[in-house]
Amino acid sequence: MTLTSPSNAVSTEPTPAQTSDEGLEERRRSRLRLILLTIGRKLVSAIVVLWGAATVAFFAQLALPGDRATVILNIRDGQAQQRTAAELAPIRAEYGLNHPVLVQYWDYLRGLVVGDFGTSYQQFRPVTAVIGEQLGATVTLSLTAILFAWVLMIVWVTLTAGRGPRVRSLGALVDVVAAGLPAYWLGIILLLVFALGLRWFPVIGGTGVNGLILPALTLAIPLAGFMAQSTRVEFERGLDQPFVVSARMRGMSDTGVRLRHVLRHATIPAVTLSGWALGATLSGAVIVESIFSRPGIGSVLVAAVNAQDLPVVVGIVTLVAVFYVTVNLLVDIAYTLIDPRLKAS
Amino acid sequence: MRVSRVSIAAIAIASVFALTACAGSGEASPGGQPVDGGTIVYAHQQEPACVFGGWIEQAYLSYQVLDNLVSLDANHKVVPWLATSWKSSSDGLTWTFDLKKNVKFTDGTPLTAAVVAYNFDYWLKGGNSTADVWLAGYYKSAVAVNDTTLQINLLKPYPDFAENLTQAYFGIQSEHALKTRTTAQNCEAPIGSGAFIVKKWNRGQDIILVRNDKYTSPPANALHTGPAHVKEVDWKFVADPTTRVAALQSGQVDAIYDVPAVQWKTLKSDGYQLEKYVTPGRPQQIAFNTEVGPFTDEKVRQAFAYSLNRKQIVDTIGEGVIPFEGNGGVSQATPGYSTKAADWYSYDPAKANALLDAAGWTGRTSAGVRTKNGVPLTVVLPYGAGSIIDQDGASILQGVKEEASKVGFDVDLIPVPQSELFAGKYSSPQSYDLSVGYWTAVTAGILYINWRPSTKDDPNYSNSDFYNDPVLNGYILAGNSAPTVAQQYADYEKAQDYIAQHALSIGVYDRLSTLAVSPKLKDVWQEHAQGGPTFYDAYFTK
Amino acid sequence: MTAIRSATVPTRPIQLRRLPWGLFVAVLLVLLLAVAAIAPQLLATHDPYALDYPAALQGPSWAHWFGTDESGRDLYSRLVFGAGQSLLIGLGAAGVGIVLALILGSLAALAVKPAAVVVDRFVEVMFAFPALLLALLLIAIAGPSAVTEIFAVGLGTAPGYARMIRGQILAAKNSGYVEAATALGHSRARIVSAHILPNALRPLVAVFALSVGQSIVWSSSLSFLGLGVAPPAPEWGALLDAGRGYIIQANWLEVIPGLVIVAVALAATTIGRHLQAHLEKGEK
Repeated sequence: MTLTSPSNAVSTEPTPAQTSDEGLEERRRSRLRLILLTIGRKLVSAIVVLWGAATVAFFAQLALPGDRATVILNIRDGQAQQRTAAELAPIRAEYGLNHPVLVQYWDYLRGLVVGDFGTSYQQFRPVTAVIGEQLGATVTLSLTAILFAWVLMIVWVTLTAGRGPRVRSLGALVDVVAAGLPAYWLGIILLLVFALGLRWFPVIGGTGVNGLILPALTLAIPLAGFMAQSTRVEFERGLDQPFVVSARMRGMSDTGVRLRHVLRHATIPAVTLSGWALGATLSGAVIVESIFSRPGIGSVLVAAVNAQDLPVVVGIVTLVAVFYVTVNLLVDIAYTLIDPRLKAS
Repeated sequence: MRVSRVSIAAIAIASVFALTACAGSGEASPGGQPVDGGTIVYAHQQEPACVFGGWIEQAYLSYQVLDNLVSLDANHKVVPWLATSWKSSSDGLTWTFDLKKNVKFTDGTPLTAAVVAYNFDYWLKGGNSTADVWLAGYYKSAVAVNDTTLQINLLKPYPDFAENLTQAYFGIQSEHALKTRTTAQNCEAPIGSGAFIVKKWNRGQDIILVRNDKYTSPPANALHTGPAHVKEVDWKFVADPTTRVAALQSGQVDAIYDVPAVQWKTLKSDGYQLEKYVTPGRPQQIAFNTEVGPFTDEKVRQAFAYSLNRKQIVDTIGEGVIPFEGNGGVSQATPGYSTKAADWYSYDPAKANALLDAAGWTGRTSAGVRTKNGVPLTVVLPYGAGSIIDQDGASILQGVKEEASKVGFDVDLIPVPQSELFAGKYSSPQSYDLSVGYWTAVTAGILYINWRPSTKDDPNYSNSDFYNDPVLNGYILAGNSAPTVAQQYADYEKAQDYIAQHALSIGVYDRLSTLAVSPKLKDVWQEHAQGGPTFYDAYFTK
Repeated sequence: MTAIRSATVPTRPIQLRRLPWGLFVAVLLVLLLAVAAIAPQLLATHDPYALDYPAALQGPSWAHWFGTDESGRDLYSRLVFGAGQSLLIGLGAAGVGIVLALILGSLAALAVKPAAVVVDRFVEVMFAFPALLLALLLIAIAGPSAVTEIFAVGLGTAPGYARMIRGQILAAKNSGYVEAATALGHSRARIVSAHILPNALRPLVAVFALSVGQSIVWSSSLSFLGLGVAPPAPEWGALLDAGRGYIIQANWLEVIPGLVIVAVALAATTIGRHLQAHLEKGEK
């Protein structure tokens, strides 16, 4: 994984219509109506996006090369060859591959609604079980990575922002370099130095706390650099604000000012990036789990794509989409509620 | 490697006293004080979808959990396991196996001849496709004469029948479990009578195997009797070879599978036990498409063979660990191996050039690729990257490409990911010119699987040359049903020489199954049918 | 998902502007890269394909600046010869991504209501997929090759740019001079072509530069997973994938190609940022 530069992930957009009513009461009521309307609209569009994602996942897999029943048989035997119709017939019947595509699609959608993602071709188990037992490891990794990223970012920005040209340039340079580090390379270097060289961490990640640190750092360092770029701009803008100046005049120490006043305002853009970051770390998990031999949905996904285990692939894709859409919906709703531009105009 | 050669009678007695037998046989080994119990952490490469099945990765696992009727010892001799003795009738059509008494599956049901007969039918009905390709055409029926006597009826004589039964594809499962449990349960934790039981499978991570405390039925070539010494085996899946080696060196794991050639010397000098098993059966070979394309011309096939200094490539990349294999039919570890076939082609670029000239490939493109009637000599070589061909193999193929280019071949190397490979994208005659791959087997009978002519009614998609030749098939069929071993070897050797003479397939290197074991873990050995690790005899020292 | 979009964007070049030497180094690197791509034999010291088994796995030295691989091939020369293909993949993927984003983004901003909503949702759907998975799927369908890689990476980066372009166009649409032009009775087509598009698309030059660097990193990620260009080709990602097996004995095979990729990506980013700053200044 690599992170897009901030301008790619975020962009400006005109704000929703603004109210200009006179009466306070009426303003409040209309604001409530507006909020409910906005939330309702977002909810509907989230559902549409989910349906779209599920549909794309289903039909993309149909376009995979080769006959699916052949793949199922070949993987079970570790051979790559053609198969006779007699060999394939029972497999086709077992997985409903003999039905028309639209029927398969309908069955698939119906299953998704009731939480039935089908049965793995390879493991003969429900997909929900396959994903369920791997999800914990990946979510732990993602959340730890985001936490690490926050800590790294806050420390670095607080230390370097607005400190004179040299320190500031260094700080910004490190931000840019860190944000541009590809996960695979950073991961290998960390593994090489801290696991293979210094032996501080286990080589095989596993699920233990000790095995979590290097993979989480691999995801956290680029993320920290990425968030730091937005935060730094706000931070330096914040240092010139009147309330900061007045706090200084009240005799507050520099560190106090930085931590208590400036940082709080500066991190708002990074907060909104965290929802997006969750999606990005899930994507990065594919590579990190491979480097550190960690279990998780990333490694299950790569294995399933390789094995053409359609139900598992579609299940993970849909799940990630649900996750991503939900998180962003929540962030959106929270924003609708606190957006000052909806409160007063 | 020590292998005890115990007589059938001794084994029978031993199994009666199995519960009281002490874990002492390992004491004879040099090293520290043996410790009872403990958990072996073992890092394997690939994770299969099920424990039991027709893939070698499954065979390695199911071998820990299931017992076979017979076992293969270090001298390639079939020795007792669940069967105490066996014989075939004079016409070779009836085989009788006498089974061990008082053997119980880990679900408590007894092992009987009827259960074993059920297993045979189960394999052929889709339970194990590899067992099926071995037996189909020869197997007729399995009958329980009484509780401990099993009779197998064959359609044609098959002297190597018992040898083939030593492969883990023929592991015996509880009939009760097969009938009453779900497919998912039997996939994840098959019930056998073996030394270990599947306790838990953490998908993507490891399988925990726990000792079968009531184990009474070790194979005759095991080092001890009674339950295994260690309490658990943590069978981890670690795909990256470097990570496996590093984990072994840091003490995180006790044994690893598939040691990269480049790490071999370092580990050896650091005192690790290194085991190398040359897989019998089809070696890593290059098969030529004889149906479509430039290799339909025998001269072009021979020219390709002469253009390569296969030995130098393999020796360098393989660091002396991976053996060069000249024979395209079977590997040097296979009984009935023909050295003549292996030595047929040596590095001779002049001869290669002359053959290509004679075949009409006389033009040249600006890049030095030969042409005939304006068509360049570009040949497609797809390979299963990361599945059938590992990293060392991929480097060797790059060497092949480079050397063949010197006489004017343009080899188009295509690494094929597992999904495409198994989808059969490169399995039709139109899709490739050269095909690489191996197929493990305990006998040269693998020739039958790889070279049986494909007919409309009975297609043989394992024939990667698309070569349907009655002469070659005649040699192989004669070998399959030959009355004596000597005659069988002679027939199979004829088949290999024929393959070499017509350059139908050229060997490149032997597929290895390798292990590296920590010095504190003793008596891990590779079983002799397929080279998987055996943890039954293993024990830790202080 | 307004929240994400309305987060503050450091479109200013921040402090990098104060580092002209940074720009200097970046331009120098890109020039070297261009030479390597057009005429690699000028920079290379060895034949990148020549096998030299006795020289296998040697560390960096005067004879082999970046060491040799398992077949004795010179890593430095392989990197030089791989530059063309890697750069082409980066440019191609960035091109595919931007063109796709341009189509989707302008449709979403300018098309009539129902069509714009559909396009908007479609972009959201693409966004809901982790980009790497989108690429994995495409590669599974079309097979691994340079062309697939270009489209896989382009497709993965397109939704982000599409949103950005949509935002730019909407901002331009709502700006004062467009309102003025509308009031003056200019036709819709004329407004779009004369006012909205030029203003909205000016930053694209900078975005393209940023995207090239990013695409090189992305495609090498795919190669790292073994889903990129075939191994004998010295494409950078393929070198990384091949080096992975030797990180204990010969870590230069992994560290150096990675370092080169990071350096090139950073150079592209630096140049992109400066372009961005320059264009914005011009706007004011």
